[in-house]
Amino acid sequence: MIAVAPAPEQTRARYPDEEGYIERDGIRVFYEVYGSGEPTFLLLPTWSIIHSRQWKAQIPFLAREHRVVTFDGRGNGRSDRPTASEAYDEREFALDALAVLDATATDRAVVVGYSLGAPRGLILANEQPERVAGAVFIGPAYSGGGEPLPERVMPWEDELDTDEGWAKYNRHYWLRDYRGFLDFFFGKLFREPHSTKQIEDCVGWGLETTPETLIAAHYGAKPGPEEAQELARRARCPVLVVHGGDDAIASHTRGRALAEHTGGDLVLLAGSGHAPHARDPIFFNLLLRDFARRLA
Amino acid sequence: MTVTLDDREQTRARYPDEEGYVERDGVRVFYEVYGDAPTTFLLFPTSPISHSRLWKGQIPYLSRYFRVVVFDPRGNGRSDRPSTAEAYSYWEIMKDGRAVLEATGAETALLGGLCDGGGYALMLAATDPALALGVAAISPSVPRLTPGHPNYRRYPSQEPLDTDEGWAKWNVHYWQRDFRGFLEFFFSQQLPEPHSTKQIEDCVRWGLDGGVESLVLADEEAPPPFATAEEARDLVARVRCPVLVVHGELDNCQTRERALAVAELTGGKFVALENAGHIPTARHPVKVNGLLKEFADGVVPPAPKVKTWTRALSRRRRALYVSSPIGLGHARRDVAIAKELRTLHPDLEIDWLAQHPVTAVLEAEGERIHPASAELANESAHIESESAEHDLHAFQAIRRMDEILVANFMLFLDVVREEQYDLWIGDEAWEVDYFLHENPELKSAAYVWLTDFVGWLPFEDGGEHESFLTTDYNAEMIEHIARFPRIRDRAVFVGNPDDVVPNSFGNGLPGIRDWTEQHYDFSGYVTGFEPVADREKLRAELGYKPAEQVCIVTVGGSGVGGHLLRRVIEAFPQAKANVPDLRMVVVAGPRIDPAILPQHDGLEIRAYVHELYRHLAACDLAVVQGGLTTSMELTANGRPFLYFPLKHHFEQNFHVHHRLERYGAGRRMDFESDGPAEIAAAIAEEIGREVDYRPVETDGAARAAKLIAELL
Repeated sequence: MIAVAPAPEQTRARYPDEEGYIERDGIRVFYEVYGSGEPTFLLLPTWSIIHSRQWKAQIPFLAREHRVVTFDGRGNGRSDRPTASEAYDEREFALDALAVLDATATDRAVVVGYSLGAPRGLILANEQPERVAGAVFIGPAYSGGGEPLPERVMPWEDELDTDEGWAKYNRHYWLRDYRGFLDFFFGKLFREPHSTKQIEDCVGWGLETTPETLIAAHYGAKPGPEEAQELARRARCPVLVVHGGDDAIASHTRGRALAEHTGGDLVLLAGSGHAPHARDPIFFNLLLRDFARRLA
Repeated sequence: MTVTLDDREQTRARYPDEEGYVERDGVRVFYEVYGDAPTTFLLFPTSPISHSRLWKGQIPYLSRYFRVVVFDPRGNGRSDRPSTAEAYSYWEIMKDGRAVLEATGAETALLGGLCDGGGYALMLAATDPALALGVAAISPSVPRLTPGHPNYRRYPSQEPLDTDEGWAKWNVHYWQRDFRGFLEFFFSQQLPEPHSTKQIEDCVRWGLDGGVESLVLADEEAPPPFATAEEARDLVARVRCPVLVVHGELDNCQTRERALAVAELTGGKFVALENAGHIPTARHPVKVNGLLKEFADGVVPPAPKVKTWTRALSRRRRALYVSSPIGLGHARRDVAIAKELRTLHPDLEIDWLAQHPVTAVLEAEGERIHPASAELANESAHIESESAEHDLHAFQAIRRMDEILVANFMLFLDVVREEQYDLWIGDEAWEVDYFLHENPELKSAAYVWLTDFVGWLPFEDGGEHESFLTTDYNAEMIEHIARFPRIRDRAVFVGNPDDVVPNSFGNGLPGIRDWTEQHYDFSGYVTGFEPVADREKLRAELGYKPAEQVCIVTVGGSGVGGHLLRRVIEAFPQAKANVPDLRMVVVAGPRIDPAILPQHDGLEIRAYVHELYRHLAACDLAVVQGGLTTSMELTANGRPFLYFPLKHHFEQNFHVHHRLERYGAGRRMDFESDGPAEIAAAIAEEIGREVDYRPVETDGAARAAKLIAELL
């Protein structure tokens, strides 16, 4: 799978009504606000390999009835790219989310987190329960839900004598052939046939940051299995977990566990990979809307 | 309009799990409880003009998700009929509701009500906020909240009038004179939607159950719950729980202004139903059930659950086959069609939504029965309950199955919402076809309708009224198809154009033959079996000796045929005398206990015969009812047979008879006039006779499957 080089941003279906930056410890984080209507949706950033354009299929739909707030995670998009690893602690992302809620005068929001958005969302839901009306997690990178997929268990820091498969998930390879890594990774991420455009999009967004940034982010502190479970069990808001049955990045066992630990609903998507919100946007959008309506 | 009533309560789709009485100030009030879900949903009655059966379209569905509690209002149903007006005040009925909740151990509940019931529910929610989780008020009546409907102000209700016309019937003197006339007028006003005959009949029946005295006390003499509009507003504004208000724009009892006021004062959600009347629960049950469930889920979120959605290109091809259980016949032809479908689409998975006795055939064939099938309300038992001695008014039996049809459609809907099917096939699945046309937005797969007859037909002894009713039903069907041609992607007539009766659909309606040719594809007849090649060999296999004159007596899969079996058994001694080699085998079928049938020496009585069609192919004579499947099996195999159409069974008397005439098959008998002697004589004349029937095609299943397969 060869993706094309990044092009100028394509025309959006809807442009933000408001945009701005919050700044914490000298790091600027870019946010956007769309539409109006309760409840507000806060679309969280995931791993800094991509940015808030990942929500491009959700924003125009949600913003017809709801206020939608999203922001670029530090390390990509129009946000700063700090070099210190501590800047990428999961809690920092959660605090960015809180700062964005404050800056946009959002009392409460339905929080939507994709992949690494899960630990961030869980921290936010625990520390600011009154700000989180509900949480939706897609393909959650939930360490409380068992071991990573076996084929992904490869030394990340060591020089390997192969570049094959998941050996590409390796800091040395990233520095050697970042583009090769992006092509590989997003090819794994979209398991569904006919996903060329979604892969191209993600590779393009990946190219907006650097392997050095992702390496720094790699060292950010993340909740371990027990801490993650604690966060999940203590989350008080209604939860919906959506997980692709063919997810090759984070096993669906993680989504199942997160639903169980939070007492949330689980929607399993048979035949889907890691990013159903991009690949099956219609179904996912309707799920989001139904979830919000049930909170009303 | 004139309304003919049936005094017997029709079969319910679901019966209460618990029933009882509460007593307040010496007045006993009857209640019922359905289901055991954690959340209670109390459905209030209206005024004593009706009783708890008013909720028959909702109870079977809602009780799958909630513990549903209903009660009869004082003055109707199985509740007492107190004799003072004070006993009928809104407050008393509201308190009855609270007492019923207490008696049934509910500390909190969702509250639902239609008309006055909406008022009682709002009053309970306002005065007992800890109890009320939410209020669904349909066509709500809150006296004095707004000016009443102008209909009630056209004439004085308590003074003698010199007219009975129109709303002058809302008058206690007229009620005393002609209560029935009043009810017919009133409910025709409240069910103004075309084709509402059954709903009107039901409401008139329930009104008569109460009687004029309670209605006078409750609706005319009881003290109003509020002295002023202010008082009413204050009370409604005190409701704190979520509220849903449903209003039909053609409501002739309650105004839009009143419904809107309830929504505004409570901050509730207002849903308007265009071109709907005062009783959408009865006339638009699928829509109302959906609204109630959605509202309730918003108030009490359902327990966490796991659902699966399969992305489009990852799906296997799947079909849901809904096979009518009335008679065993459809099962075999549907299995044959399913087999042919799988030869055209080997990857096709077929699930069956079906009930006994169809499931018996499906299980034997190794077909996959959807587990939800177990929850279907039983249609066969209903049909049996509607039959008298060799007499089944099939049209009325279907009409009186309306509650079961709603319940089974709701189940179908839940199944197809949870699972993704590419295709729905309904073989005379009346509930699927009717309610898809009534709720076309619910269609989310290709849909095929199969039938072997078109057109409801009246009997002469039903008079003009029966003719009016069949015409009305036909007209509604014709309008459905004309307005929503997209619902049936295929309509397959199991037969040939000449099999369609030459009758008219009724006054002002097209001829059935022409219309059917325009709106159906024809598959030819589907027997569901290979014709017998070597009859002698088959007889030997089944243990019939060459010299024996084998006569099989069968009434198919339903339990309706007991009387015919007895009559033929009575004829056995004479028949045996006429035909010394006679070997008579009586097949009771899956729904008749053979032990209750009389015995004779030399007569064989069997409970169930596996592959009965093979015995029919091997016999020298069959004695049957007038059902299509069995008589066409005999026709296809060239066997002589006597058939006795069930009295008042329009399909057997008109549609099947017409088809058999065309094939030159069978000898029609009459249960009324043909006694044992006539039957014995006919057996002697017909048994072993060479016949010259029109041949029956053998490719019907393949042709039907090909028509269906194009949609996959």
